Amino acid sequence: MASGALTREHDVRAAYAAHAAELYGFAVRSLGDAGLAEEAVQETFLRAWRAGDRFDPQLGSLRTWLFAILRNVVIDLGRARAVRPGVADGGIEPSVEPFDEALLSWQVEEALRRIGDQHRRVLVETYYRGRPYAEIAKELGVPEGTVKSRVYYGLRALRVALEEIGYEA
Amino acid sequence: MKPDPCREWRESLGAYALGQLPADEVPALKAHLEGCPSCRAELDALTSVAGLMARADPDRLGEAPTPPPELGDRVLASISDERASGRRGRRLRLGLALGGVTAAVAAAVLAIFVLPGGSVEPPSRQVSFEALPKRLKVGARLEPRAFGTEIHIYVKGAPSGALCRVFLESRDGARLSAGSFRYRWGEDSYPVLSAALDLSSTRAIGIRVGGRTFLAPVGRS
Repeated sequence: MASGALTREHDVRAAYAAHAAELYGFAVRSLGDAGLAEEAVQETFLRAWRAGDRFDPQLGSLRTWLFAILRNVVIDLGRARAVRPGVADGGIEPSVEPFDEALLSWQVEEALRRIGDQHRRVLVETYYRGRPYAEIAKELGVPEGTVKSRVYYGLRALRVALEEIGYEA
Repeated sequence: MKPDPCREWRESLGAYALGQLPADEVPALKAHLEGCPSCRAELDALTSVAGLMARADPDRLGEAPTPPPELGDRVLASISDERASGRRGRRLRLGLALGGVTAAVAAAVLAIFVLPGGSVEPPSRQVSFEALPKRLKVGARLEPRAFGTEIHIYVKGAPSGALCRVFLESRDGARLSAGSFRYRWGEDSYPVLSAALDLSSTRAIGIRVGGRTFLAPVGRS
């Protein structure tokens, strides 16, 4: 048996501890429904366990493998839902973005969550809210040059965070 | 450590990559980039990250949703269930979940699975409960077994901790208990129950939850 194969309960437990939160966060983002996201995560680990002897860490990370399984689960769920309109629960409109787009959005959002508060704040204020550097500098009580430098280090941190969570350009 | 002659230039590269550098600072930076391969490489890397930022929704940057603490136990339970049953019923859980989701839409549906080789597996019955209170969803799949009927039931939206009693009603009106379970974790529950009544003799399935009883007809095969 290949070492690293996901065949024992112990392996599943470890894989769950390491990756369930991310898989769930993405499933909620993609499916727009917490209950369905739970189903998707549970099904993902069940399928991973069934195919556990085929997981080869030499070929790619466990994380990437689990996301690939989740991708199929989400597509199955979306397909089943697409033919039965009007089943979205709790008034949340499910996302209809194709999976890969949704995954990319989620990865960038997750990376933005991971960088420091100061960095995230200047990126959000300057980029997403389009506010002038001078205004943000005044609000934060720092020189304008500091805002500029935080934008730079923020982008760098974002790049590192994206690599950490498996973004491949 | 070596002094870094490009530091000031580099700190402008983030703003430049995002299209935020004041116009009067751009020509000097461009001139520097012409002659500095390492700053050009840095700009390339920053530009690719900056290009991804449009993908994110700034309103979704709050606390990431976390899975409920019981989900891990459910994952392990589903695996040990499957191990115990020799990896049978592979698609069952997802199928049940979807059955539950569509409970309000469909009435009883007959499902026949044709196996490779042309043999027909005894039909299982997908049953949906209608006229349920708002938010409560119940679906069930009944499988014929030698001992009677195996019941895969799916509940969503009952108060956590609610006692659910399940029974089958025979064609002559007798009720046989299929056991009970507690609805937990506020989201989905799908225990597997059984009753000593043949599926072909079953007229309806019932569930008693929160002091009310709900019945769903089981069609004839």
